[in-house]
Amino acid sequence: MKSVFLLQLQRLRREPILVLSMMAMTFGFVFLLGGMGSGDRIEVPIYFDEAISQSGQEELLDRLNQSDTFVFQTTEEAAAEKQVALGEITYAIKAMPDNYRMLVAADDPNQLLVNQYVQQVYADELRLQKAEAAAGDTDFRKKVDSLLADAPITLTGLTAEGESDSAGYDQKNQFLFGMTLFFSIYTVILSLGKVAEEKRTGTWHRVILSPVRKFQIYIGHLSYAFMIGFSQILFIFLSFKYVFNYELGNHFEAIVLTVACYTFAIVALGMLMLGLVKSLEQLNALVPIVSVSMAMIGGAYWPIEAVSNNIILAVSKVLPMTYAMDSLKGIALHNQNIASLAEPLSIMVLFGVLCMGIGVNLMERTS
Amino acid sequence: MLETTNLNKAFKKNKAVIDVNLYLDKGESVGLLGPNGAGKSTTISMISSLVKPTSGDVTWHGKSIVKDPNAIRLHLGVVPQEIALYKELSASENLKFFGKIYGLKGKALQDQIDKVLGIVGLAERKDELVKHYSGGMQRRINIAVALLHEPEFIIMDEPTVGIDPQSRNYILEMVQKLNKEKGMTVLYTSHYMEEVERLCDRIYIMDHGKIIAAGTKQELTSILSSEETIFVELDRSYPELVTELREIDGVLRVVETDKGIKLITPKNSRLLGNIFQAAERQQAQLISVNVQVPTLEDVFLHLTGRKLRD
Repeated sequence: MKSVFLLQLQRLRREPILVLSMMAMTFGFVFLLGGMGSGDRIEVPIYFDEAISQSGQEELLDRLNQSDTFVFQTTEEAAAEKQVALGEITYAIKAMPDNYRMLVAADDPNQLLVNQYVQQVYADELRLQKAEAAAGDTDFRKKVDSLLADAPITLTGLTAEGESDSAGYDQKNQFLFGMTLFFSIYTVILSLGKVAEEKRTGTWHRVILSPVRKFQIYIGHLSYAFMIGFSQILFIFLSFKYVFNYELGNHFEAIVLTVACYTFAIVALGMLMLGLVKSLEQLNALVPIVSVSMAMIGGAYWPIEAVSNNIILAVSKVLPMTYAMDSLKGIALHNQNIASLAEPLSIMVLFGVLCMGIGVNLMERTS
Repeated sequence: MLETTNLNKAFKKNKAVIDVNLYLDKGESVGLLGPNGAGKSTTISMISSLVKPTSGDVTWHGKSIVKDPNAIRLHLGVVPQEIALYKELSASENLKFFGKIYGLKGKALQDQIDKVLGIVGLAERKDELVKHYSGGMQRRINIAVALLHEPEFIIMDEPTVGIDPQSRNYILEMVQKLNKEKGMTVLYTSHYMEEVERLCDRIYIMDHGKIIAAGTKQELTSILSSEETIFVELDRSYPELVTELREIDGVLRVVETDKGIKLITPKNSRLLGNIFQAAERQQAQLISVNVQVPTLEDVFLHLTGRKLRD
């Protein structure tokens, strides 16, 4: 087992291009999609109804821009309508005194999040306006602000969704987790593809004919694939945490455990795929199909909350990607610890055990 | 030492090996001869414990290796038909890995690596990556891996396929030395008749999954003791001439080769006149006509009606 594991490391040392390219792609896509520094906030074009005064517009804009996630930028109505019509932007907000309208050109995963946020701001504002009218006090707003700034009692409401102003969404972390988990699928399964390659070149049979037991050979390959996937994900997370100052919460041990469970599930999925295919070429064709669909349905490209189709949501419930993304976001955004992640972690392990059992069985049958 | 009893292997409805019975005594060099698809590789896969037979048994020193594959594995070296090496690694790295999985380590492993590299004549190039080796050198390392743990019995499955005559000769000499000087038992499969003739004490001829003849070279060629081979060398192919020659009374077999037509006829059958007449009728350009003593190739042709490399 140790010899098989070390051999794979030796082969990696000679041909590291796969792992290095997957890591480079992860870094590239996280930077490209997640953005760096302040430019990572979601830009929302907004224009105002004539019924809102200039000061009212400024106040509303200030209130909307208190979010760390969204940045609302004023535009002209005609310009916004034209841009939406031409597809240059996918949505724009028309702010009215007691309501708002969203111009939508095409489905966008951020659209739902923007809508949720604007709805919340409007609901708060209308509640304040009603209270102001009922109080009949011209300084009501100032009093509310000063009371909120120096409240005698602070009530903190904790929910499973946390207290984020964007319903648990952070674009930077979304792409960091999503892209890292997505590209790690390639690293893990293509590393396991060495088994198919060895079967083709004959080295697999040569090793089988040695006194080494078959389960030891499997464990050697599986532990290598696990180690390489696990190390890649952790290296990327540590780089973004310590070099690029990404906020990953206070429970890094929970991240490590989540990554371990996810990597195990992907290694097992790789074994299942190896059992299903007859050649390395078939495996190479299958990997992008499986990884891209899993990333799309499992919430690696966009938050699963943005999906409303019940079938897709149901499928997502059987994918390790969904649970890994949920866990990682829970740790980074809501400081969840290992105990609170028991369910998603257990599901990933269960998924892994099932796939591994079927995969090894299929492989043994085909050989 | 090794014996197969009614060995059968079927892949779905296709019977690859049918009732193969063969044996090898210690120190023997035995050839398994047959055209592509004859069932040689499947037979040796079962003998080496890689593939389980559909029925029948393989015994090693009386122990069934179908029931207990480990009984033979430590004593067996296999040289597969393909280059089963990690080509991105060097020769010595390959040998180190395969040595380790056979339980060799430390100085014993290094000594064995040096020894087999010496046998295959690649000691000075051991640190080069296998992918940079020529085909012949890769074949030699392929053999070296099988020799690393000093097996008692070695199976060589067409070890000289696709290499130059010089490398082939080197490999054949090496196998001869291992058998004669080190007493290693060799099972050698090939579709090159001259290799088997040169190396093997006894020969099994396989075709369509069955053993169709067995014995020493002399025993096998004596099958054709009452026949002779006439080889007609031609300037090009004449399919109509082949048809006409088949119709001559007394001609037992006719097969077209790269350089002409081979006929097996009863000894002293005096058919040369008929052959010349047929050639004239077909306006065939004869280069030479030879009457030869039958070879193993002719035995194969006689038994199957086909050339060995068909």
